[in-house]
Amino acid sequence: MKYHELPQPDQIETRVKEDAMGAYFMMFATSAIGIPLPLLNLVAAIIYYYVNRSKGKFVQFHTLQSLYSQIPVTLLNSGLVAWTIVNFVGDLNFTSFYWGYLVMVATANLVYFIFSIVGAVKARKGVFYYFLFFGKVAYHQVYQIRPERDSATLRNRPPGR
Amino acid sequence: MQRSILRDLLVLLGVFGLIWLAFSLFSYPEDPQLLSIEKEERLGEAYVDLILLNPMFREFENRQVDSAIRVIGDRLEGGLHDSEYNYRFVVFDSEMINAFTVPGGNILISTGLIGFCDTPEELASVMAHEMGHVEERHVLSRLVKELGIEILTSGDQYVIGEVTGLLTSTSFDRKQEEEADLFAAHLLEESAIEPRTLATLFRKLEEEMDNELMKHFEIISTHPNFRFRIREALSFKPAEDFEAKPIELDWEEIRGEL
Repeated sequence: MKYHELPQPDQIETRVKEDAMGAYFMMFATSAIGIPLPLLNLVAAIIYYYVNRSKGKFVQFHTLQSLYSQIPVTLLNSGLVAWTIVNFVGDLNFTSFYWGYLVMVATANLVYFIFSIVGAVKARKGVFYYFLFFGKVAYHQVYQIRPERDSATLRNRPPGR
Repeated sequence: MQRSILRDLLVLLGVFGLIWLAFSLFSYPEDPQLLSIEKEERLGEAYVDLILLNPMFREFENRQVDSAIRVIGDRLEGGLHDSEYNYRFVVFDSEMINAFTVPGGNILISTGLIGFCDTPEELASVMAHEMGHVEERHVLSRLVKELGIEILTSGDQYVIGEVTGLLTSTSFDRKQEEEADLFAAHLLEESAIEPRTLATLFRKLEEEMDNELMKHFEIISTHPNFRFRIREALSFKPAEDFEAKPIELDWEEIRGEL
């Protein structure tokens, strides 16, 4: 499996670095609506990805990494909101499994928050920062050389012999 | 690369799965506030039904006594603001001087206690004290602490039987008794009943402290700190415009029915 060569920090334009950083900070901007309605946070991340994906592989990598890592966090948060509502509406007990889940979700959010801050700072410096699992998935998806896809996007080609 | 991605995924799932499991097994201090009033009332009804099946707590059915208790209860409930409980006062036939609270706003009063009180206001002060335990959810706190919410709400008949045993011998800690005393003083004031009647009752109870008939009475469970509670009850200052209105009952006639 072959991958495109990674650009070094001095080869990346400042504007591109800022767009990559924005992928992580966008999550904070939408967190106000994301707490009661976690899925809206994810929708915002998806929109950001589609708006910025054409700005180069560096931006694409960071937006995808941010988006992918947000998916499980959003699902976990949605599960917590749903479980809490069901407990209140159905007058059910808050079992120890609920509290365990609550702690797990809180931990996931905290880890996501810390990694996002670090990711944003690194992106602003033009550095690649890989989250566990999600970083590799994003890298694989963006930087893997796929002849059929890459040749289709190449408009300028060397002259034929 | 794909193998490394899979490994990372397993690490993530393992770590977070373990966090969930570990914190599920962890024992949390349970909060009685997590049990709704409706559920508490349903539980309370089941407990009261079982308690009244016990020959020691057989219900005392007498229209005059019931109506007198209702008059006092209505006066006190009128002084309550924003209570979520529907109070139920049940008189049981026992010479023991006793009253206790069952979850869900149920207060059980012995005929012995009614006979012990020289005025309806004295009985009102005991009832107000028990209502303090209800509003502060003291009984529920104790049950939740001792049994946990899951066992308590299991609906298992055996568990309900065990819980009723605990309820009839309930004692609270000093802080809870003082909270209930303070609540009672405020409630009596709001109900236009002299709040310091509580001190009068405490003094009478103290004089009878060695009486075998009082050995299960929860209100005196903080002995030897009883003197402090008498002092606190006496030092309660009602508002300047407070005016006590007597409870219109022929108390001697009521006591004659016992």
